[in-house]
Parts: sequence; C-alpha cells; structure tokens
Amino acid sequence: MSTVLSDLSDALADAVASAADGLVRVEGRDRLPATGIVWDAEGLIVTAHHVLERDENINVGFQDGETVAAELLGRDPATDLALLRTPKRGANVPTWAEPESLKVGHLALALGRPGANVRATMGIISALGKAWRTSAGGPVDRYLQTDTVMYPGFSGGPLVDAQGRFVGLNSSALVRGVSITVPALTLNRVVRDLQEHGSVRRAYLGVGAQPTRLPDELAKELGQETGLLLVSVEQGSAAEEGGLFLGDTLVTLGDAPVRHMDDLFNNLDGERIGKPLTVRILRGGQLVDLTVSPVSHP
Amino acid sequence: MTTLLAQLNSDLGELADEVRRSLVQVSAGRSGSGSGVVFAADGLVVTNAHVVSGNRGRHPGTGLRVTLPNGVVAVAGLLAKDDDLDVAILQVERIEGKLPELHPIKMGDSRELRAGQWVMAMGHPWGVAGAAVAGIVIGAGPDLPEAPGAAKDWIAVDLALRPGHSGGPLVDHRGRLIGMSTMMAGLEVGMAVPVHVIGEFVARVLAGEAGAEKYDTAVV
Repeated sequence: MSTVLSDLSDALADAVASAADGLVRVEGRDRLPATGIVWDAEGLIVTAHHVLERDENINVGFQDGETVAAELLGRDPATDLALLRTPKRGANVPTWAEPESLKVGHLALALGRPGANVRATMGIISALGKAWRTSAGGPVDRYLQTDTVMYPGFSGGPLVDAQGRFVGLNSSALVRGVSITVPALTLNRVVRDLQEHGSVRRAYLGVGAQPTRLPDELAKELGQETGLLLVSVEQGSAAEEGGLFLGDTLVTLGDAPVRHMDDLFNNLDGERIGKPLTVRILRGGQLVDLTVSPVSHP
Repeated sequence: MTTLLAQLNSDLGELADEVRRSLVQVSAGRSGSGSGVVFAADGLVVTNAHVVSGNRGRHPGTGLRVTLPNGVVAVAGLLAKDDDLDVAILQVERIEGKLPELHPIKMGDSRELRAGQWVMAMGHPWGVAGAAVAGIVIGAGPDLPEAPGAAKDWIAVDLALRPGHSGGPLVDHRGRLIGMSTMMAGLEVGMAVPVHVIGEFVARVLAGEAGAEKYDTAVV
C-alpha cells in the first residue's frame, strides 16, 4: 500500500489544526453554543446572526482557552451575519483563500467550535454561482454550496480549503437543507457596515412591485422588455412624497433600467439614502420623470 | 493527478479487504443482528451490548451466532457486556474441537485522534454484508454536541451509520481499530465507542474484575 491515504488523512487533520486559531466559540443562546471567526487582531469576531438569540451577555471562547465577554456591534439578519467586539488582542487572524482558487469538486472542510475543541466535517464544493439574494433580501456576492454536514453548533464557523485557508462563513439558516457559505467579499462589506453604522444600510422607497411586460413599441424603443408595476405605495413614504402612484410602472432608477426585482434591490444600497434620485415611470401610456429621495430602510 | 486518485482507489480497496477479514456478523436469534470485530486470535469478538441485548429473557446472550468472513457460522458465548458502555465481549466457540480461522484486527489508539483525520466504518448496513463508508473524525472526547451521556468519551464521525453497522469496526487510514460504530446522531453523523474504552473493558473482564461470571455460556 502507498502512503496516499496516510498523506491525505494527515493533510486533512493538519488543515483543521492550522485553522483552529481562527475560530471561536460563541455563547449567545440558551442551548448549544455556536461558532465565530476571528476577524482581526483587535478583537472583532464575525458570526451568524441567528445563533445570537440575545443582545447582551454574550461570551466568546478562544483556542487558547480564554473566554471573554463580547459586545454586539450589530446584526444583518438579511445575510445572517453579526459582528462582535471582544477585549481580546493579538489573536491569530486566519489566512483567507483567493476566491479564484475555488473550483467545484475541491475538498472543503466545515469547522466549528461548539465546545472547547475544534470539530470538522468534510465534503466538496458542490456549486459556485453568481451573486444572489437571500430570501430576506440580503445580497450575497457569490453562491457557494458544499455537501459538508452542518454539525450542531457549526453555524458562524468557517468553510476552509484543503490548506486550511478560510473561504467564508457557514450558515445553516440561509437556505433550508443546504450548506451555504457566505463568501469573504460579502463578509468584508457587511462587517464594514456593521462597524460603522451598527447595521447594513439599505435605501428604502416604500413600494411593493412586481415585474410586468412593457408595451411592444416601448420595449423595442427602450431595449427593455419588462418594468416593475407598483402594487403598493406606502403612506408617507419616499415614493409617495416623490409623486409615485399605485399602478405606475417603474422603468428606470437613476440611469439603470429596472427589469426585475433584483434591479431595484441592487440600486438601493446605502449610498442612495437621502440623495435625490430620478425615476422614470410609465403612467397612462406616457413616460414621466419624477424625483424621489430614498430613506434608510426601517 | 489521475495517478494519485488511482493510487488512492487501489489503497482504499486494499484497506477494505484487509479490514473485512476481521469483520463478523453477529446474530442474536430473533432479536436481530449487527456487526462485530475479531479482537483477539483466541476467539474474542467485540460488538455493541445493544446488538446482543434484544434477547431480554432470563438468559441474555443465549443463541448468539457469529458469521465469519469465510461464511463459517460459529456459536458464540457472551463473556460480558456493559450496557452503559454499550460494549459486549463474545467468545467464539470451537467447532469440532478447534477454533475457526480468525484474523484479529490491528489495534489503533483512540486517545490521539485529530479532527479531520480519515476514517472508515465497515459493517452490514441493512444487511448488506461487508459494506464500507468513509469520512473524517468530526471530534473525539466527552464534550460533543448531541452525544448521549455527556461525560462519556465518544468519537463523532461524518459518515452515515445505519442499522446493521452497530458493533462494527471504525478504522483509521492504516486499518487500525479506533472505535466501534454504535449509533447515529442525525442522519449524517455517526457515533463510535473509542477503542481505548473497549480495551479497558476487555482487560477488566479478562482480569476477572467485571462481568464475566454473570452470564451463562451459550449452549445451543
């Protein structure tokens, strides 16, 4: 027999051991603790929103056995992420994998620290896809699915590659029955927002909408087959104040065509808050330009 | 690349063949069956206590049979069992005055297991003889989520144990026994009794400190 299997076994255990420093136990609910990732050497910890069932009395346990109290800096339920601040200094910050290095079929390990020690499950990267939106509307920069088992307490822990480099944060709550990893790019963005504002800021119009076909002639002229029909306009909302009515069809927002709900979401990031925005609508067969000032998402 | 996988496959096949030589099927009369592993050349076989306990009459362990890898069916006596550990020790009886050919499994060490290391379980899931499943060690020790009996040592593995795996060997990448497949914790997580727990129990029984006198040797 060759040493291939021994080498494989050792390499997997080495990958787990080398990543161990970078994950912590997060005690934020009555039942089993969950896991978090060391974000920086200044004590920041990123974890899953759903494992923090309380805002106070949260503790974080490190690889060296030290357990410290943590302060909740903010949550983003839409991407199931939360940020904690601990007084811990100088914890080893994990090495992150280059996103381009991932391929479907690669071995991957899901890690967790529900108790004192690091636990691991293994699988492969099942699917890599483009940006997507969670059912709660949270934008995720890349679809990343594995067939790793989410052992109890693994939520908030990392997916690591065969070298033990961190790939993203695992959540069992984003899509039922599927192991989904939130990629580093999304973590970066959400952590920045949570650090600065305590929440992820999204601009808000106060409309309900659904895609609808534009008249043939207009579709040809605009090079756009669908718009968004407004099926509700909230009272006192930015949309109402800007003059939007129930039954209007949204065609563009700023300079961007609005064909699907995603186009609307993608154009309402935090940067839009409080700034006048030109919207083009179809009303009574005529294109009309209006100005709205989106507010912060309540 | 393909050479590596070909070598891996060939090694896996070899390892499964080797472990299968020590794998037995344990039948406890009408109360069901499970797996077991040849622990010592003098006829000691270990399995789960729950595999032999279905027979809750006055004589637990009577009517036990062990099917060896070569198809020979031997009668076995229950030497000792411990329901808390979920370990039972059987003694394979002689056939026409001599012990059937037995291949004891190589012993491993379950005290130094590392999360992530490769493991394989063999058994008879749903009655499929000598089947193998492989995965890695999730973790070992007493503080595993969903482990029954919080203070006990377990090995959690990310492979799918099914009825019929019970009592079968969990081995490392060299085919060394590190645990006994015992139960599932969820559909995709297996729990095994570490071999050091089994070894200590066997040693106590052989030293006459536990269990041995409690049971009749099976006479069928």
